[in-house]
Amino acid sequence: MTEYFGTTVADIFNTMPKRFKPAEAKDVDITIGYEATGEGGGKWKATIKNGTLKVETVEGELTGCKTTVHADAEIFVGVTLGKIGAIDALSSQKLRVAGDPKLLMLLLPKIFIPYEAPVKKPDKITARTIIATLAERFRPEKAEGVTMAIGYDIAGDGGGQWTIEIRDGKCAVREGLVDPLTVKLTMAADVYTGMMLGTLEAVTAFTSGQVRIDGDMMAAGATAKFFRKYEVPGATEAEELLCLRVTNAIDQRFATGPVMGRWFSGLREKKFLANRCPECGRTQIPPREVCAWCHVRVLDFVEVGPKGTVTNFDIVHFASPDPLTGAVRDTPYAPVYVVLDGSSEQEAFAMEIKKEDIPRLTVGARVRPVWAEKTTGSYRDVIGFELDI
Amino acid sequence: MTTQKVAICAVAQHRNDPDLWHKRFQGMLLDVLEDLQAQTGFTFDEETGVNTIVSCSDDFFDARTISNNGVADVLGAHYRGEEKMAQEGLNALGYAQAVILSGHADPVLVMGHCKESQAESRNAITNLGFDPFYGRAVGLDYLNAAALQARAYMKKANLTEGHLAGVVVRARQCAARNPYANAREIVEAGKVIASPLLCDPIRELHAYPVSDGAVGMLLASEARAREFTDRPVWLTGFANCMDSFFLGDRDLTANFALRKAAERAYRKAGIGDPKKEINLVEVMDAYAHQQPLWLEGLGFCGDGEGARFLDEGGPGKYRVNLSGGMLAGNPLVTAGLYRAAEAVLQLRGDAGERQVPDVHRALAHSTTGPAGQFHTVAILER
Amino acid sequence: MKMHKRNRNVAIIGIGQTSLSSHKEDQNQVEMVQEAVLRALDDAGLKIGEIDCIVHGNMELFEMQFAPDLWHSLGTGAYGKDEYRITTGGTTGATLVCAADNLVASGLYDTVLAIGMEKLQEGNTTGGITNMADPLWFRNLQTGALTGTTAQEMIDEFGEERAKRAAMRYRIMMDKHAMLNPRAHRRFGLEYEQAADLMANSPQLVGELRLIHMCSQSDGAAAMIFTSEEKAKAGTKHPPVWVRDHIQVHREETIPNLFGFTKPEMTHRYAARTLFARNGIQNPVDYFDVFEMYDPSAWWAMDWLREFLLLSGDEHLRMLEAGDFDLDGRLPINPSGGVIASNPIGATAMLRPAEAALQIRGDAGGHQIKKEVRHALASGFGGTFWTALMILEKELGWQEVNHD
Repeated sequence: MTEYFGTTVADIFNTMPKRFKPAEAKDVDITIGYEATGEGGGKWKATIKNGTLKVETVEGELTGCKTTVHADAEIFVGVTLGKIGAIDALSSQKLRVAGDPKLLMLLLPKIFIPYEAPVKKPDKITARTIIATLAERFRPEKAEGVTMAIGYDIAGDGGGQWTIEIRDGKCAVREGLVDPLTVKLTMAADVYTGMMLGTLEAVTAFTSGQVRIDGDMMAAGATAKFFRKYEVPGATEAEELLCLRVTNAIDQRFATGPVMGRWFSGLREKKFLANRCPECGRTQIPPREVCAWCHVRVLDFVEVGPKGTVTNFDIVHFASPDPLTGAVRDTPYAPVYVVLDGSSEQEAFAMEIKKEDIPRLTVGARVRPVWAEKTTGSYRDVIGFELDI
Repeated sequence: MTTQKVAICAVAQHRNDPDLWHKRFQGMLLDVLEDLQAQTGFTFDEETGVNTIVSCSDDFFDARTISNNGVADVLGAHYRGEEKMAQEGLNALGYAQAVILSGHADPVLVMGHCKESQAESRNAITNLGFDPFYGRAVGLDYLNAAALQARAYMKKANLTEGHLAGVVVRARQCAARNPYANAREIVEAGKVIASPLLCDPIRELHAYPVSDGAVGMLLASEARAREFTDRPVWLTGFANCMDSFFLGDRDLTANFALRKAAERAYRKAGIGDPKKEINLVEVMDAYAHQQPLWLEGLGFCGDGEGARFLDEGGPGKYRVNLSGGMLAGNPLVTAGLYRAAEAVLQLRGDAGERQVPDVHRALAHSTTGPAGQFHTVAILER
Repeated sequence: MKMHKRNRNVAIIGIGQTSLSSHKEDQNQVEMVQEAVLRALDDAGLKIGEIDCIVHGNMELFEMQFAPDLWHSLGTGAYGKDEYRITTGGTTGATLVCAADNLVASGLYDTVLAIGMEKLQEGNTTGGITNMADPLWFRNLQTGALTGTTAQEMIDEFGEERAKRAAMRYRIMMDKHAMLNPRAHRRFGLEYEQAADLMANSPQLVGELRLIHMCSQSDGAAAMIFTSEEKAKAGTKHPPVWVRDHIQVHREETIPNLFGFTKPEMTHRYAARTLFARNGIQNPVDYFDVFEMYDPSAWWAMDWLREFLLLSGDEHLRMLEAGDFDLDGRLPINPSGGVIASNPIGATAMLRPAEAALQIRGDAGGHQIKKEVRHALASGFGGTFWTALMILEKELGWQEVNHD
């Protein structure tokens, strides 16, 4: 039987007898005919007399009815459940009443307990049933230009192995794990369902080791946004908390001042210009208006480098967003701390090292700058460092 | 309770500028710092010098999280204590006073900076000061909030375009004698009245111009003030006060917060009748109508009597805003410090062409928030 | 460093915290602030009318709210009162405690309410932190607050196995403490036996700094009430906790010169030795009964324990390995679970003295140290490796170092 709003037209009439309130219908004598057209529709007659109710299906014409109600099956169910306003339906003629509609609107609520759609017993929710909904929850607009194979290895009841392939704005879910995978997530079935149902915070699950990630961690983190949130079928919607999403952006024009201005002029000439404190003699790079240690103005500039020695470095796997564009940088990348030749021994200079050099990066390594083809006096003039071998 | 007093030993102002594109904050503050050091000889010595700094800046205007971090070097904060008043700058004086009186540190350096020219729009920033769901969405900012207040106040106090123009004309005349002011050109009343509407009833020339600036001060206890100056100016009264946030909850002409702040500051300074006992007033008038409005709140002008006050030459009589006031151009965040700086100069006899005689007690005022939600009052004495 | 004598003593008489979580969508900023304030007032047995002054702090670019204290006044109770707003990055919460102490000690105000808050979920935390760097230069390089250099240095100094074991032992110890603190944000129920597995499976963030070692990003607010000695002695709902002394130590703007051939003294050690010296504290490990330390990661925590406690060599690791830092140990560290468990940045550094004060009062609840707590140390961290450090005492009458 065709369903509308989670129930059928027939169910409304099948439940009429048990919803009937005889005490309220003592003085009622009426026969009401119902015609629901379209798929899942039908004709019924309800006869109320002497405090009793008789409901019967009707083949053919509705006869002997003082009042008849006509509507498309979907409208019929919708109005009965209150999902569609009765007045609106009447006004727009989607619901038509032959006879006295007022009689119906006053009488029916009095003699019947309002109809409620039956609560469906949900199918047991497992990792398998949730994953089965992935394809229909996919948001292609969020996955533009993305090519990924995400493997799920879920152990336990309702678990299994699946690969989610995202390519060319499409999502395909296959049983089994393909090779190669961009990232593989391994966990117990109840951990997966817990995260999907919101009873287990994903970050907690990752951090406490309940989810193991093999491969590109950033990809694992990104998958959530490619899919709409899983919703338990048939669940009543919890009251939605309102949330305002806004990006605030205010354009800025930053002054460099003469000191940083000199630094950028130096870059344009492919030079690193530090400035030297007249009291303690340390070289500050990039140069600053004062020496913070000595509290004096610094006026002398001195060229340092261009080569230097690596004193420390970080290999970054978790990228912070690009502050200008908000985009997530490619990982891994490595900022290195370099004391440029001629600099004071504490005054390291930070810069990224060429990605290809990361595997051979050590403390003590010698590096040299990689300059942009065309330098303009901006931070883009230095592309990074590379090993000086 | 303490009976100690706190002194302002020196003030230094960076000239207010419509667009200081060629200096960054560090450069501006270094100029101010060197001026203060030249005046007082103070150092950052661990034992005898400044080891606590109260800075003043705003993360939105600087477009920088922990905006004080950017100027740490110049402020002398390296291996020293530094706290940022993330609030209108005049409050830094009140807090610095507390730091000294508590016994925690002495002397204390106060340094504030702000560039309104850096962001594309200061109104875009102040719009973000309203709650995200209603005030912002409706498009409120400090300019149109002030305009709402202006409309209400003009009606209450019978102010005309002529009155507002008079305030601006006088401001420019004073600013012309102030080398630190931004807008110093003399204007005529007719030009003010004809200037285009920014936000009815506020016209372009009623509003303070976009400004960049920085102010520094050295404060010390009574015990140490004379190490740094032979003409200390005493901070004898200080208070601030918060009003309600939503404009609809307030009577925009009643000066609730300002009256309370003034009352508390006067009590601390032992002032019974401000009109008689205060010789000079610097109010933070971002818009022309605010001058008489704030003067009502401070008790110099009767309630609702703005028009008459202006007609009878009140501002001249009470030596209001001889610096040119905020109307002559100071950035938000530091405008209150500029008010205090002028008061200090006048009290010391260092106000040059603007100097008036017999200044023993002066008042510096600042305000922030929509339509003056928050006010600060400081009383300074020689 | 010589300091002047305190003008008058100041007591903490009220402490309030909201729960700390990453899902506070059911409250806006004002409501969250008010919750902390009401709890603090209730804890102090005071009404808002008895507060003279309010001090507020947070890092406004995280929530993108300009001058937030103005809107938050609806929850802070600042209406009609004096109010200050002071912010110092990650150390803000601690600075607010220092500020409240200064304001009351000065004699200008009798009872001050300090409020630290942050709603990190409303913005982008790592982006917000990156925004602290110079826009002309370092902002293009900075990766929020993450670095693996300390982990590498410890591995180089103590050997990989011992260093990693220590970091995990510390991490799991913090979780065990958090499990006893119902207000903590992240509570996993970790066991020491899981150490090797957890670390091997935890994704790398930067170098050997892994997700498991790193602090959370939380929403939450804390409020504390301070009053004068006179008022505190007149009677309080809970025993007063005295603010003995505090110090804030900032650094220059630049960070890379912490990673050169030679390294400067860390502000942690400078703060500790200066604060202890002027208070006549010779041996901090013996003197203090608890240390609530601002620990953004397990690696930094270990390294900084050596700095704060003025230790050298591997003394700090030996103490950790001997259980000295456990809840029932010689010097319990972070009975609250610390910053690794909960980190609502504007409030985090306030929660350290707040939790330390609760320990002194004896009513911290599940994570209460069983031995009497009389002397507490609390730290804040932020900015370019700044430190805020303070000493709280159960009783007055500590030996004041003589000044002239």
